[in-house]
Amino acid sequence: MTWLAWRQFRTQAIAGAACLVLLLGAVLLTWQQVSDLATSTGYTGCSGDACLAAAENFADRFQLGLSHHVYLATIGALYLMPALIGVFWGAPVVARELETGTYRMVFSQSVGRGRWLLIKLAIGGLTAALGAGLFSLLLTRWAQRIDSASGDRITPLIFAGRGIVPIGYAALAFVVGVTVGMVLRRTVVAMAVTLLVVAGLQVAAPMVVRPWLAQPITVVKPLDVSKLEGIGMDVDSLQMHLRAEADQPGAWIVANEVVTSTGALFVGPADAETCLPRPGGTGPERCQEWLSTQNLSQKLMYVPGSKFWTLQWREFGLLVVLTLVLTLFSLWWIRRRLV
Amino acid sequence: MTSALIAENLTKRYGRRTALSGCTLDIPAGHVVGLVGPNGAGKSTLLQLACGLLEPTAGRLEVLGERPSSGSPRVGFVAQDTPVYGGLTVAEHLRMGAHLNPSWDRPLAERRIAQVGLDPTQKAGKLSGGQRAQLALTVAAAKRPDLLLLDEPVAALDPLARRTFLQSLMELAVEQGMSIVMSSHLVADLERVCDHLIVLVASRVRVAGDVEELLAGHHRLVGPRRDPGELNAGWTVVDESRTDVQSTLVVRSTAPIDDPSWQADRLDLEDIVLAYMSGAAGPARVLEGQR
Repeated sequence: MTWLAWRQFRTQAIAGAACLVLLLGAVLLTWQQVSDLATSTGYTGCSGDACLAAAENFADRFQLGLSHHVYLATIGALYLMPALIGVFWGAPVVARELETGTYRMVFSQSVGRGRWLLIKLAIGGLTAALGAGLFSLLLTRWAQRIDSASGDRITPLIFAGRGIVPIGYAALAFVVGVTVGMVLRRTVVAMAVTLLVVAGLQVAAPMVVRPWLAQPITVVKPLDVSKLEGIGMDVDSLQMHLRAEADQPGAWIVANEVVTSTGALFVGPADAETCLPRPGGTGPERCQEWLSTQNLSQKLMYVPGSKFWTLQWREFGLLVVLTLVLTLFSLWWIRRRLV
Repeated sequence: MTSALIAENLTKRYGRRTALSGCTLDIPAGHVVGLVGPNGAGKSTLLQLACGLLEPTAGRLEVLGERPSSGSPRVGFVAQDTPVYGGLTVAEHLRMGAHLNPSWDRPLAERRIAQVGLDPTQKAGKLSGGQRAQLALTVAAAKRPDLLLLDEPVAALDPLARRTFLQSLMELAVEQGMSIVMSSHLVADLERVCDHLIVLVASRVRVAGDVEELLAGHHRLVGPRRDPGELNAGWTVVDESRTDVQSTLVVRSTAPIDDPSWQADRLDLEDIVLAYMSGAAGPARVLEGQR
């Protein structure tokens, strides 16, 4: 059975491996460039306060090089990978057998349906997990200096493309594809639905699931008006929108609001006397003064960068559990509901 | 006589549609059995239930003394339209069979492939209908099942391919001694290979028996018009038509017809099957036109 599963998976596996080699090649080719840049900007081996400036310099100069394109491409690739795995590897596995009628031949060999599906899932799922793991391992190491210089590896965009989480997404996407294909019985429809489901998961994860997994820290402290990053104001309605500096380097800022003493979001109205710009006026200083008398607070919800691996394991664990649940469901379905 | 397949009140429904309802039959082992009937009689459903591909909705089904389950090494199945993997070569199909069946008979498979002239390196997707059917039969037969089920295996084949395929099937039956059940809506196909015949119409067995007995026990009688009550009590009337002066009957009778007022003729198998399908117990059913 392993032979047949592998034989039928061969073409897709080779196509996937070719894409992987291309990406790995790009990462390996730019490895030296990133290392050199980190050394020449003094970021490698820096210590103390000098690090801040060096990190900024390194991050700025990194944006200009070829390796920055590779960096962006790998982010894109890591988001696309689960969808591609689900659509092209997962969805056809059972759907095509049902469509072409070959399930009637393979199920009349001396192999039970459950075992047949289990081996198909194992081979495809493990290959997907292995490929994603290899890519993520290399990428996480390659991007280590970039991530720590920009302090953003726990932020939603980067988080799903580092560490062990990509393995979970790849395996889950494959099983989603197989299950959707088995239930819908049409390859093309199953591919489209799989794409939607996987994309939906990728959107829902950072917006709904991850904040819940990460248990962000909430801090409310008096607003320091000198740390305001932006003041927005509608001249007619005098509605205000304030944005204060988060001041939590390396953290994922889940929410950052300016609130009134009752805890509600501060929206003005602004004091027309001090805050409206007028010709020959005194500028924003008087408005800031007025704001400081309004008893405002900054409410910050954040996940510190040090929780990166805790969060990685939690999300990975959740994905593995989902994968297993879906596997059990598909095994039940193929025995009881398929035909 | 042992049974290859026993069904009691077997029913299969797909949602509201009933594909097989209350079917009761007993298929003997050690024969090449033809299952004949119009489309929609439930032949295909019965065979798919027998190989465990489908689960019955109600009723009892025993195949070789067991409840059927897919993946059984004792039952082989060649599905309708003989599906094979288009992307795999002929040799890879044999390799698949060897991997998936502990009882795989490799010499048999290779001999058969050579006999029917299949190129092992050819992709199965490029084979003709007849070659594909031969490949599917080889895979099913080399599994060495005790019972081989074939669902309309020759329906899509041209006459020559059909004859070659049936020839292969007969050789297998003789050499390997496996029980074979084959469905078809064409009696001519079955006549050539089967020694036992079951006529299934709307899930009901109309007649079942050894082909020789069926041939010997059925007669077409033509004579002066008579009412049913005046007929010989040992006869079972299968089909009758009457004009004002004359009756034409198809009767089943184990005893020879010795009434000189009837002109008795022998019937061939197709006549018998058609008589059962159109006669006595129900509205006339039209067989599909012969291809």
